Amino acid sequence: MALRRVAVVVLVLGVVGLGGMGAEKFVVGTDAAWPPFEWVSAKGEILGFDVDVMRMIAILEGYEVEIRDIAFDSIIPAVIAGKLDIGASGFTITAERAQVVDFSSPYWSSDQTVLVRAGSGLNVVTALMPGRKVGAQRGTTGAFWVEDNLVAKGVAVELVLYETYPEAIMDLLAGRLDAVIQDEAPSQQAVRQYPGQLVIAGVIKTYEEFGFLVAKGDPKGILPRIERGMKKLKETGAWDNLVAAYFGNPLEAVESAWEACIDLLRVAKDPVAYAACLVQKVRELSK
Amino acid sequence: MTIEHWLRVWNYLPILLQGLSVNLALLGGLITVGFIIGVVVALLEVYAPPPLRLVAFGYAWIFRSIPEILLLLLMWFGPAQFGIKISPFIAAVLALGLRSSAYQAEIFRGALQAIPVGQALAARALGLSRIGAIRYVLLPQALRLSLAGWGNEFAVVLKDTTLAYAIGVVEVMRQARYIGSREFPLTLPAYITVALLFLILTYAGLFIIGKAERRLRIPGLEARR
Repeated sequence: MALRRVAVVVLVLGVVGLGGMGAEKFVVGTDAAWPPFEWVSAKGEILGFDVDVMRMIAILEGYEVEIRDIAFDSIIPAVIAGKLDIGASGFTITAERAQVVDFSSPYWSSDQTVLVRAGSGLNVVTALMPGRKVGAQRGTTGAFWVEDNLVAKGVAVELVLYETYPEAIMDLLAGRLDAVIQDEAPSQQAVRQYPGQLVIAGVIKTYEEFGFLVAKGDPKGILPRIERGMKKLKETGAWDNLVAAYFGNPLEAVESAWEACIDLLRVAKDPVAYAACLVQKVRELSK
Repeated sequence: MTIEHWLRVWNYLPILLQGLSVNLALLGGLITVGFIIGVVVALLEVYAPPPLRLVAFGYAWIFRSIPEILLLLLMWFGPAQFGIKISPFIAAVLALGLRSSAYQAEIFRGALQAIPVGQALAARALGLSRIGAIRYVLLPQALRLSLAGWGNEFAVVLKDTTLAYAIGVVEVMRQARYIGSREFPLTLPAYITVALLFLILTYAGLFIIGKAERRLRIPGLEARR
């Protein structure tokens, strides 16, 4: 009898203990191979604009996030299946996607760029003429744009799809592609990493907007909290600092700055101080 | 690819090895799952009464038919529909393990059937039960005979572990892609480095299995040369 009572007490304590420990936690899915929005540093840490925004909002709104890296075209199925709570991976808000998931309000706008080899003499029109081979990452809006605006309209370009963006770039450099279509920020990244070998032939104004996404109907009530968090970040200036830190700077500088400042987020839980620290350090290191 | 690129990939070697340790953990899990289920399925295929035998053959048929990448995605997304939480790692071990069990079952079945019928009869004549004959006489020999084929399966499933990245297991292939997305020019050198790592691993594994084959050989009962 006494033994049974002890067992009950232990069980109750265990349950209470677990309940207390497990603060509300949401799993965020991201394809960490798309700098500067999300990538993995030389030390194996996942960082990037999307990821940091998620971490900062979590602090402001009092929940925990677990960042999970996963292939881009698996994120939406995983959110639908309930394996992930949030998708934060530079998702363009599209009508097709909005049928199966719910989006936050837009947090970024982007256009598509056409990347070609330097010296190829191609411009945005000649690079997309019939017979050209055009590469894009599978499941991205760049690939959809080529399908909808060229292939479907009878412009016989050959669309080649890749699992990741760097593989498309490799094929472009190897001469197996004539052009690669991708969002602006990653394209600029590619040009910086292959100096003198790649140029941006032109920009296709698609006026795309990125949003964070959750399961249809937002069963866990996450979207209002993301909205509130984004509003707070913008009001405090942390948002602008984060943008200034992540975009247009060398990845190495951003990584070093991130390492120097991340404890302000992880330990001090202060998003505003973190963003200020990040932009200041990046500026110092990029000089 | 210049020397400089290779030197830069060298700096990433610890990260790649860290990824490789995940592949090894996957391998350990999946080959254990595959072995246990594989032996059971093989025994059912050879010795069970017809209805059970049919089930075993059906099992092997299903898991040899479905593409592995599909098995991975089904194992990861499927249980969630019924509210079962399953981590990407466990899902990968199960999906790849079940697939491997079907192939291992066929290896063991072949080995069991290669043992002369006289052995089973002799064991029964010595007073062993049917189960006892399988347990003490037939299975130990069959497992020895299947080592060569099993080594082949090992080499296959070792490489299969790189598919797990599709459901979010951060293994060596995924790490190589991180490197490529961070420094585009390192994509190819990183892939080549991963290929070299697998060459070494496969050699080491097959070496150990070859050793085991020689060590476990019973004089007079080895496969004829």
